[in-house]
Amino acid sequence: MIQSLTDGILVGAILSLGAIGLTMVMHTLRFANFSHAELLSIGAYSALVCDALFSGILPSLAAAISPLSMTWALALAMVCAMSLTGLSALIIDKFVFKRIREKGDELSMVFASFGVALIIRNLLGLIFGLKSQLYSKDIVFAVVLSHDPLVLVKPDQVFVLIAAVIIMLVMHYFLSRTTLGYALRAVAENASLAEVSGIRLSHMIALIWVIGGVLAAAAGVFYGLTNHVSPVIGRDLVLPIFAATIVGGIGSVYGAVLGGFVVGIATNMALLVLPSGYSPAMPFVIILVLLLVRPNGLFGETQT
Amino acid sequence: MKFTHRVKLGSLATGITLLLAGLATSAAAQDCSTKVGAVLPTSVDWGRPIAEVAQYAVDLVNEAGGVSGCNIDLVLRDTQVDPKVGVDAAKALVDLDGVKLLLGAVSSGVSMPILTSVAVPSDVMMMSCCSSSTAFTALAKDDKTNGLFYRTFATSGVQAAVGAMVARDQGYKSVAILYKNDDWGQDISKLIAADLESLGITVTGSVAVNDAQPSYRAEVTQALQGAPEAVYLALYPTEGSAAVREWISLGGTQNMILANSLKSDEFRDNVGLQYLGNTIGTDTASPRTESASAFVDLYKAKFDAEPNGPGLSNSFDATMIALMAMQAAGKDATGSEIAAQVANVTDPDGTPVSGDAAGFTKATEVLSGGGSVMYQGATGNVRFDANGDVSAPAVTWTFSEAGTQEASYITLEEVDAFMASVN
Amino acid sequence: MIGILSYLVFFVSIASILAIAVLGLNLQWGNTGLFNGGVVAFFGAGAYGTLLLGGTPQPDHIGGFELFYPLALLGGACAAALLAWFVGKLTLHLRHDYLAIATFGVAVTFENIMRNAEGFSGGAKGLRGFERPLENWVSNGFTYNLAFLTCIAVILICTYFFLERVVQSPFGRLLRAIREDEVAARSLGKNPDRIRLIAFVTGSFIVGVSGGLYATFYAFVSPQDVLPTLTFQIWAMLIVGGAGNNRGAIIGTFLIWGAWTTSGWSLSRFAPVEIQIYGGTLQYIMIGLVIVGMLLWKPQGLFPEKLVMSNSGKK
Repeated sequence: MIQSLTDGILVGAILSLGAIGLTMVMHTLRFANFSHAELLSIGAYSALVCDALFSGILPSLAAAISPLSMTWALALAMVCAMSLTGLSALIIDKFVFKRIREKGDELSMVFASFGVALIIRNLLGLIFGLKSQLYSKDIVFAVVLSHDPLVLVKPDQVFVLIAAVIIMLVMHYFLSRTTLGYALRAVAENASLAEVSGIRLSHMIALIWVIGGVLAAAAGVFYGLTNHVSPVIGRDLVLPIFAATIVGGIGSVYGAVLGGFVVGIATNMALLVLPSGYSPAMPFVIILVLLLVRPNGLFGETQT
Repeated sequence: MKFTHRVKLGSLATGITLLLAGLATSAAAQDCSTKVGAVLPTSVDWGRPIAEVAQYAVDLVNEAGGVSGCNIDLVLRDTQVDPKVGVDAAKALVDLDGVKLLLGAVSSGVSMPILTSVAVPSDVMMMSCCSSSTAFTALAKDDKTNGLFYRTFATSGVQAAVGAMVARDQGYKSVAILYKNDDWGQDISKLIAADLESLGITVTGSVAVNDAQPSYRAEVTQALQGAPEAVYLALYPTEGSAAVREWISLGGTQNMILANSLKSDEFRDNVGLQYLGNTIGTDTASPRTESASAFVDLYKAKFDAEPNGPGLSNSFDATMIALMAMQAAGKDATGSEIAAQVANVTDPDGTPVSGDAAGFTKATEVLSGGGSVMYQGATGNVRFDANGDVSAPAVTWTFSEAGTQEASYITLEEVDAFMASVN
Repeated sequence: MIGILSYLVFFVSIASILAIAVLGLNLQWGNTGLFNGGVVAFFGAGAYGTLLLGGTPQPDHIGGFELFYPLALLGGACAAALLAWFVGKLTLHLRHDYLAIATFGVAVTFENIMRNAEGFSGGAKGLRGFERPLENWVSNGFTYNLAFLTCIAVILICTYFFLERVVQSPFGRLLRAIREDEVAARSLGKNPDRIRLIAFVTGSFIVGVSGGLYATFYAFVSPQDVLPTLTFQIWAMLIVGGAGNNRGAIIGTFLIWGAWTTSGWSLSRFAPVEIQIYGGTLQYIMIGLVIVGMLLWKPQGLFPEKLVMSNSGKK
């Protein structure tokens, strides 16, 4: 029971990071971006490449940071991956979404995002192969937090949780204390009003993509660190991330954070009552129940 | 407006028909080459190697001069694990390419509609490497397959029985089961649970592992409850490594019994040899002939890796047996004629032939002299029963530095006796 | 030549079955603006319903009532409609993206139940034991397929004309009114919730018919038939064809399904053997490129909706 709760929180942190970017894109650009989770894959694979590169150049970096399985090289690689993924998000927007935005409607965007997701996922499979890979093959044993009830956590997961929370706090500071953050929120609230107040809309949209990409890369690397890296990360994570976004309410960054934890905890707790064969349905049952009570999610505003 | 649309569509349709007709005739006009169809999930991680092995078997046959003097041209189509796509691909292979032999598919959910709506109505033989569903046996018993369906994947019963025998021999008192939530996994988990219980071994839990889940932590946590002495894993390498890494890091037992699907380098490398010391795998086996090691050597030479992965040796044998049957049936044989020859190339009293180019040449000689052969391939002396199901002896194996090594050999009689004793 | 004909009959059969589902979705999305992300659940309800009602009894699960085939098909479609009524009651008040995800969730849950509830659905190994109607009477497979295609075509044409009638009728205008401006429709004394539910249930009934025919064609259905890929395929067909236009929906189906199958076929034929191993992956990339390219080129689809201001002025 307590173990499932703990597990849920640890898994939820990764979902939250993914959901923050998704909620911002969905709110500002008004479309459900099914390719968002592919940014996690791009991030995870960029880090894999950079990690190999850095440990190759400076072997001393390849030492693990005890007690984690994370190495200094991977930490550096993660920073690289974040910028690369942010850049990829911008490029995808420039070549696909921006053009469709100019002539099509919201649904064209949704479908284009399906197409983009297919392309990215299979390109990764073509380049890196379809098998799953690992940053580090060591298995770090879980630490016993308490014996009765038995609660086990892995050091990597604790690190991921702390890092995710720090990133979220930085986001919070950025959105609520900086001019750029204000501008971003203004665009999300009402794009045309923001534009007449002198905010460059195109810059803000670019910024949202970069933020989404950077956070997705972090989530992707964290996922790779605690699980594995494979071309289908996007496919496996797109639904839980969507669930987190919807539960939190589209547009609410804090909702997305909370939504990630809710989905993580609920999927882990669900197995206490249901046979595990039913676990893929869990995120949706949560969504359905929540939407019955709150049609716009926990923190979403009514929108037409 | 309406009219022009009609005209456009009409001409489009004619155009497509002409195109198709043109391609079909150009294909028929080629020099002697015989087309064989393969419908396999090449876009899936574990599916691609299965297709590579099938292609390799075809290459070996061509090296030996092909079938009836014609080169075999393997036309490979991806099923995307989507029944619609798989059936369409099979139908196109049969109708447009005129194949009389289909290799595939992997998932039973794809093989089944291909069999019922393409192979049987068009009289095409179908040889699956890996479809394990008991539904095929039921279909054959109802006389709905016309004897056209064969598979080289031993039914789950043998796998489960051998797993239970390992648990008994190791003296485990309690076992947890983690299984892939598909037809194969559901089948095998139920069978082994029954086998174990009739041996007096407690099953502490049987946990389904679904495909494409971001994390298997919850499933593993659940399987850990009841603190089993050992764990039986009927999983594929990707989710298998993910689940076992969680399992070990959460302090789960390293006494593991594996189904043959985890006989894979990916699994060994991702989990790490140091944790696999007490792991015993099961597989259907090669009998005491050199054929199995011959396959391993061939595979190593070609792919620079051990043939470890779900369905690889099965796919090799499926292709070889089917092509030998085709050779036996002669030029321009129909699907049922080829299917009828399968018994002749897997005849226990026949001349033993190995699963390589030399073996195929030898088989050609024997068959042209009216004799029958006993194919000894990667999974041994494959023998099919009346329903197209294969029975084979079994083997247990362990992981080693180089890949895997055999631990013990269980004859067909022992497996049968065990299965009879628990039922 | 007979091979090509036989394949064409087969291809057209599958495409026509899918076209019926696309027409059902068009009523929901194209005409009413309901973002149904779980088409496959209703398709699956029709498929499983038909096989359970019309199949022969099987030892290990319920069903196998051996109903007269048209009744079984009708029953399957009604099962889809019933599911739609239930889902609609719960979710139709949600806005676009919420509705899409909620219905998507219904579809994933549906697949999950079919995969696990062995006593009901046959579990992951699928549901068999169904005999195609009158198959024993027609010995020749090709003739049978041709006859079956004729039935499918008749149903497709009937559906098309029924929906065209609906779109032209006052009810059709009401649907578009709700889609465009719900508040205005409400102020005219209309009940948008009820109308939307009717459209949703009717559309799902049609999708259910399509699912029933599909399962009949293969005499088999398994959880692999009801994966989210199918929802995506059906949507892609509608978007490429042109949402809101029934003829576009049908043509879109043939084009997308044609592209889907020819891409695999041409890879297997023209690509060298070493590349063929990557064929599946390449095919997905091609499909992705086609969809993105299409949306960049013609976001409204090949046959955009023709907006008629007034019906009386048309004749």
